[in-house]
Amino acid sequence: MTNTESLENVVLELRRGVIVLAALSQLGTEQYGYSLLKQLSDQGLEVDQGTLYPLLRRLEAQGLLESVWKLEEARPRRYYIISAEGKKLLPKLKKEWSSIISVMDKILAK
Amino acid sequence: MNLINRYVTEVGKHLPLVMGREDIERELRSTLEDMLEERAEKEGRAADESMEMELLREYGSPQKVAETYNPHPYLIGPRIFPLFLMVLKITFFGIAAGLSVVTIIQLITEVASMDHDYVKIVLQGFGNIFSACMAASGYVVLTFAIIERFVPDFKIDIEEEKKWDPAILAKEPAPHSVKRGDLIAEIVFTIIGLAFLNWLFRLPIFSDEFLRLVPWIIALCFAEIVLDFYLLRNAVWTSAAYIAKILIETANMAIVFIILRAPEMLGVTVQALSHIPEDSSVEIGKLIDIINVSIWITLIVVLILQAVEIGKAVYGLWRIKRPK
Repeated sequence: MTNTESLENVVLELRRGVIVLAALSQLGTEQYGYSLLKQLSDQGLEVDQGTLYPLLRRLEAQGLLESVWKLEEARPRRYYIISAEGKKLLPKLKKEWSSIISVMDKILAK
Repeated sequence: MNLINRYVTEVGKHLPLVMGREDIERELRSTLEDMLEERAEKEGRAADESMEMELLREYGSPQKVAETYNPHPYLIGPRIFPLFLMVLKITFFGIAAGLSVVTIIQLITEVASMDHDYVKIVLQGFGNIFSACMAASGYVVLTFAIIERFVPDFKIDIEEEKKWDPAILAKEPAPHSVKRGDLIAEIVFTIIGLAFLNWLFRLPIFSDEFLRLVPWIIALCFAEIVLDFYLLRNAVWTSAAYIAKILIETANMAIVFIILRAPEMLGVTVQALSHIPEDSSVEIGKLIDIINVSIWITLIVVLILQAVEIGKAVYGLWRIKRPK
């Protein structure tokens, strides 16, 4: 494995956990997958479709998201929104994230 | 849109049925159509087949896309693997024990009727155990593969995992410590065995070739006793002790091999049993058969046990020598 491949793998691992928090934080209002993808991209977080769509399904299976099919412009779209369970979890995740950042900042500053 | 439809159908073919294939296909189609529409707007022209083709090429092969929805397509996943292993071990043990009993009963009854090939019965017994284990493992794998695929919520906590407590580690013997009871028993039985062999070898039933091996057998028994005393004193296995054990067992195996390769060396003959009166009710030929088969089975069992002992000693030596 080359250095570039190792770097890519580690970065991928790092981002994987972040995407859950990013997606949950953006789904306070309902969005379909592609619009969420663009919204995250506009804010600087590039997420692959192959990562986001299965993740949304997994979060829904865990009860953190709800989804509904709607017909828009003659095209059916699946809209996702954060569930009551997800709303309870989100502040805790944000707090955890802040704690991780401050701990890692301290570790990396040394 | 024709290519998108075909692409979505291809992705669907690689998705497991239970995962909501239709739902995934619908969402994927909708996303690709959104992406195509956006691309057409950017390029300022109507979407055509070449644009579709370019989009699908970027999106990736249908198989790769399907894999993202099922990234670990296990036959038996980590969720149920410990239970699978436990069931498999119990199955193997049950089959081996059950069929061994059947083979032993068959051997005993055939000995009574005196008209069967005993070696064939033993080999058939091993064959039956092997084929029954293979067939049973197939059924177990199939059952767990079905559970893995169709019962996503199935989980049984194995009791051992729940009860595990680090305190039990303190009760475990150190990796290379010796078991004193085993050593004492081995010394006692080796001495009794030596006395018995000393009496047995005096009987006029063994060939001269075999009697030439006797001093080696006795020497190896003494070597075993010396090693056992050393281990009793030392309390732990050392590299030297493991090497000595390997050498002794290898020499033992060599002797058993020599006897197995030349069965006539130990094989009891009519001549050897000539002291039995001719008018005895014992049929000499059949008695010789039974004795020879018993010797053959015993030697095979001894060979297996010696191989196990060597394996244990090599593993112990490797554990001592491996870098920590």
